[in-house]
Amino acid sequence: MKKSLLPRSARRQINGWTMASVIGAAVVLLPILYVLTGLFRPANENWDKVKQFLLTDYILGSAKLVIFTGFFATFIGVVLAWLVVGYSFPLRRFYKWALVLPLAMPPYIAAYTYSSMTGYTGVIQATLRNRFDLVLPPGTIDVMSDRGAIFVLTLCLFPYIFMLTRVFLERQSASFIENARLLGHKPLSVFFRVVLPLARPAIMAGVMLVLFEVLSDFGVANYFGVQTVSTAIFQTWFGMYDVQSAMKLAAWLMVAVLGLFMLERLLRRSRRYASPTSRSNPLKPQPLKGIAAWGATLFCTLVFLLAFFFPIAQLVVWAIETGGTVWRSDFLDLTVNTLKGAGLGTAIVLLIAILSSRAARMFDSPFMQALTRLLSAGYAVPGAIVAIGVLAVFIALDEWLAPFYGMLGKEEGALVLSLSLAMLITGYVIRFMATGYGALEAGYEKMPKAYSEASRTLGRSSLATFFRVELPLLRGSLLSGFVLTFVEVVKELPLTMLLRPFNYDTLSTRAYQYATDERVFDAALPSLFLVLIGLISVLFILKAERS
Amino acid sequence: MSFVAVDGVTFRFAAGQSAVIEDLSFAMSRGETVGVLGASGSGKSTLLRLIAGLEMPERGSISINGRVIVDERVFVEPEKRGVGMVFQDYALFPNMTVADNIVFGLHKLKREERRLRLEEMLELVQLSGYVRRYPHELSGGQQQRVALARALAPQPSVLLMDEPFSNLDAHLKAAIRSELRQILRQAGTTCLLVSHDEADVDAICDRSLHVRAVEASDFGSAEFAR
Ligand SMILES: Nc1ncnc2c1ncn2[C@@H]1O[C@H](COP(=O)(O)OP(=O)(O)O)[C@@H](O)[C@H]1O
Ligand SMILES: [Mg+2]
Repeated sequence: MKKSLLPRSARRQINGWTMASVIGAAVVLLPILYVLTGLFRPANENWDKVKQFLLTDYILGSAKLVIFTGFFATFIGVVLAWLVVGYSFPLRRFYKWALVLPLAMPPYIAAYTYSSMTGYTGVIQATLRNRFDLVLPPGTIDVMSDRGAIFVLTLCLFPYIFMLTRVFLERQSASFIENARLLGHKPLSVFFRVVLPLARPAIMAGVMLVLFEVLSDFGVANYFGVQTVSTAIFQTWFGMYDVQSAMKLAAWLMVAVLGLFMLERLLRRSRRYASPTSRSNPLKPQPLKGIAAWGATLFCTLVFLLAFFFPIAQLVVWAIETGGTVWRSDFLDLTVNTLKGAGLGTAIVLLIAILSSRAARMFDSPFMQALTRLLSAGYAVPGAIVAIGVLAVFIALDEWLAPFYGMLGKEEGALVLSLSLAMLITGYVIRFMATGYGALEAGYEKMPKAYSEASRTLGRSSLATFFRVELPLLRGSLLSGFVLTFVEVVKELPLTMLLRPFNYDTLSTRAYQYATDERVFDAALPSLFLVLIGLISVLFILKAERS
Repeated sequence: MSFVAVDGVTFRFAAGQSAVIEDLSFAMSRGETVGVLGASGSGKSTLLRLIAGLEMPERGSISINGRVIVDERVFVEPEKRGVGMVFQDYALFPNMTVADNIVFGLHKLKREERRLRLEEMLELVQLSGYVRRYPHELSGGQQQRVALARALAPQPSVLLMDEPFSNLDAHLKAAIRSELRQILRQAGTTCLLVSHDEADVDAICDRSLHVRAVEASDFGSAEFAR
């Protein structure tokens, strides 16, 4: 009797919704797995050379950026978060949200802005020279180094840690911290004994985001001439046209990412001890007085100026100085390209996200949970890896479809898919699926299941229920999923540079190209555009957080 | 012949877990209002969800008006069972007005019929002045009546109500209880009403069914009173 029942419940799970999630997960996983097979594939001569002479440097370069950026970003992020939550001081309310704004600044833009500002003709040295007759010995402020890369990455990425930690402390910590204060703990002891252990899960989540971003970074390291595994992938691919070795590098980077990814899962699992029940009144900040108050304000101001205000101001000045002269007719093409790629990518992300988030809700099985987790794995995978995996899979597809191309009258060995925009879009979808999926999953979590069930008992099919009840209620989540994903795609640099069709430029690739050609004035306007688009998404995040 | 027949139904939420409902059988005749009593966690809501088709039993069969809606081979989807349900917290669609909520299940009717049915329902639950309101603009008692009207509008063969009074103030409860009894009689509906309060069931139902958590008994988990 049971035998006939089990297949029945299994059969009910196989439908369009689950198929969409399976396909989505396959699209995300296939290229990533393909890259991993690079570990076991035979090497060529070049790879032996790379391995012997360069690999250690690449790994050390990446490790240095990861470790130091991770450390400084955590320090700045956590200290600032605790300051604005635990204490009141002048401008505290402003900095509570303003310190998230640097997220709008793509690190590669901050990189070339800072490098020009600190260069010999840049605003800092020029001012010292002309106003104060002060000539710095060369190399005093040298950002074209790994120190510079760490500086820029820290300033652009610390807001992840700041934001997650701050939100956590605001919502969860009040009773514990107030108790500790009542028990007479000194401020430092409250910080180390209560705040840090309590906020550990939030801090770790933020740190992981930062580390994945650093491993994925190409723009900053490349601009500052720091050798990392990511930049090495580019050089072997485009410099030596050795995709095979690039793939091997990517496979090794992937191993590192997988290690981090598992570490994150492990740490997340042990996070349950933090009591989520205390949704009590928020923590009352302690007023700081005198020097302490001004010190806090000064620290926040310094970080804000360095991470956001100075670079933006510099970009604005450049854009104004050049007047309209940098406005080129091809900006329109760039903008159209950018919007088209991002629009298509985002639309596909949202489509897969909505189908699979619904499948996950309909069938809350371990299988579906695993599937959706895989679906969102792309955010941890560096753009360069995604790019090389997608390229490999598309070339294989082209080979596989070759007879079919022949029938259509194309020449032998024609590359159709792997020269098309489809390849870039696929890369975007893989890398940013997590953003879209997260938004829709949250939307479904907010919606009581009883709405859908009521609709079913009122005679509407599952599909009709989706369109008439769920979709209208998901509108807000769809919008925020769209904005967040769209902006990520627009800002994305390495993936676009590696996978774009010939002669296809976006705002980000063009801005970066101008910057590497030492044409920072020309880069200013598209860069400002990108920052502005980024600001939209940051404001969205801030607004979502408040509700 | 019984109108609703539940026969030997066993259900568990996941393989390996203990059964929430084990070998449960009972019957209802047409037009009857039966109360389901039992401690919290004893499986009352689960029983309603099984009849509505929101969960699938592991064993046993359920039929309504002679038609098998679930057994070993058959599973009729909830929308095809002709079963109405009033959820514990009403589950009114927050983005739709009272009128839109009530006509939601009337999509198969013609426009004119739909309008007439809406008016009839509004009159039955005495909410004629509230058609344009949204659920959050109504009191708890009014929301409950909208949920009732919405469930009754498509003229279900069986109405299931899950703790319809749990979200109401005590002083509202008495008034609404007698009102509900009257509405159900007037509509002639066969109704299964879940409550953990014996007084509710006494006031509304013709007879009652006691559900006990499965661990307590090896032989069936339901017994009739009265
Ligand atoms: N979705 C679910 N998954 C697993 N167990 C559940 C789920 N819903 C209810 N249960 C369990 O099933 C039992 C019966 O629940 P329920 O039918 O809601 O009881 P009642 O309505 O009588 O309070 C309870 O022990 C409850 O914990
Ligand atoms: Mg219940």
